[in-house]
Amino acid sequence: MSADKPVANPQVVLREEFDDWAVLFDPDTAEGFAVNPVGVLIWKELDGNHDIADIVRVVREKCENVPEDVETHCREFVDSLIRKGLVGTEVTHD
Amino acid sequence: MSPDRPASGPENASGPAVRYPLSQLYFYLTEGCNLACRHCWLAPKLQQGDKIYPMLDVGLLPHILRQAKPLGLQGVKLTGGEPLMHPEILSILEHIRAEDLNCTMETNGVLCTPEIARELARQKGRFVSVSLDGADAETNEWVRGVPGCFDAAVRGIKNLVETGIRPQIILTVMKRNRSHIEPIVRLAEKLGAGSVKFNVLMPTARGEDLHKRGEALPVEELIELGRFVESDLSRRTSLSLIFHHPPVFRPLGRMFGRNGDGCTRCGIFSILGVLADGSYALCGIGETVPELVFGRADRDRLEDVWNNNAVLNDIRTGLPGKLKGVCGECLMKTLCLGSCVAQNYYSTHDLFSPFWFCEEARKKGLFPESRLAK
Repeated sequence: MSADKPVANPQVVLREEFDDWAVLFDPDTAEGFAVNPVGVLIWKELDGNHDIADIVRVVREKCENVPEDVETHCREFVDSLIRKGLVGTEVTHD
Repeated sequence: MSPDRPASGPENASGPAVRYPLSQLYFYLTEGCNLACRHCWLAPKLQQGDKIYPMLDVGLLPHILRQAKPLGLQGVKLTGGEPLMHPEILSILEHIRAEDLNCTMETNGVLCTPEIARELARQKGRFVSVSLDGADAETNEWVRGVPGCFDAAVRGIKNLVETGIRPQIILTVMKRNRSHIEPIVRLAEKLGAGSVKFNVLMPTARGEDLHKRGEALPVEELIELGRFVESDLSRRTSLSLIFHHPPVFRPLGRMFGRNGDGCTRCGIFSILGVLADGSYALCGIGETVPELVFGRADRDRLEDVWNNNAVLNDIRTGLPGKLKGVCGECLMKTLCLGSCVAQNYYSTHDLFSPFWFCEEARKKGLFPESRLAK
């Protein structure tokens, strides 16, 4: 169900903290979501130009001890962001 | 940070689901205490010699538990005053065991005999915490007010460990014992404790006097100590360490990471206090704030108190949405619920006023901006 090239909701603010975790703050709902360092890395790839395969490649390059099923984890994470309205897909008109 | 509303509870005898399960009762078994701690948030009277202060009528226990089970009761916490001063503590424990309830005890450990320790070890879901406010007798007894209480508490801890219980040691941090953070962890390791919890000195009852006399640590130092405990000291011990300041000052990874310990919060939606005189109250705060006493066990039906008390219902409908000040703006309010409603009310007579620690941190520019909803 993950969008092909997901894009972060431009209203949502990534607030990075001292331990490499971050808070995703949605000003529309005034809600915050805790994100771990790998999630932060993924968030920064959600620019509408990268698909899940690209994201998995970046995670494999930059993280240690990456599990075999990393693609599933990445997909689930992006799906959870889509469900929260933090991520969507760009609409293109023909 | 994500919404975390109380879950629906079990079906009760009359059919509908209990919206707010009463999962735990806190029994404040004695009005007196054998110690006179300078920081105590309840300020029980010092009980020595022939003077006896009120204690919970044991006859009320089955009456209360019978009414609480259909409301969702899973366990009890025994505290005081000092729970081990209750002359019928063994029969209280036996009754709790017979009722198959989880049992938590908060004690100063001084009166913990091998016999009591053995009975505690037989309790379901047992969790025992023992307060020690210094890693040596001089410091501990300066705080706790009675000579000899350090050695007695250590003996009590050893009695618990002997039965297989790994108690939690609790130290309330203040200027006097500021340098005892690491030594108390080493002492806990040596004694065979399971964890160490560091409490912040609350400005309630005797704690308020200590704050006024400048014995409390400033918020900036507490935040720093919290970081030290969570990010440094905890890596150098096998014990679990808990620094009990508001979660907004805790690293996200320590709460939500793979080995995170979650975001602890007051169980205000699911607990009720029973005071030594048989009153129902929000918690032990009822000892000093009469309007937070909600009825009497020998006169009022527990179901009525739990479901219909106006203060409890105000809290249920008001938290976290009505929180004021910095707590109202905090992204963690759904998890933290204003940290301690009892403390907030004690200070301001407003159930939804912000937690003093967080307000002070914001005034000093120390509240993490990343956790604010703006």
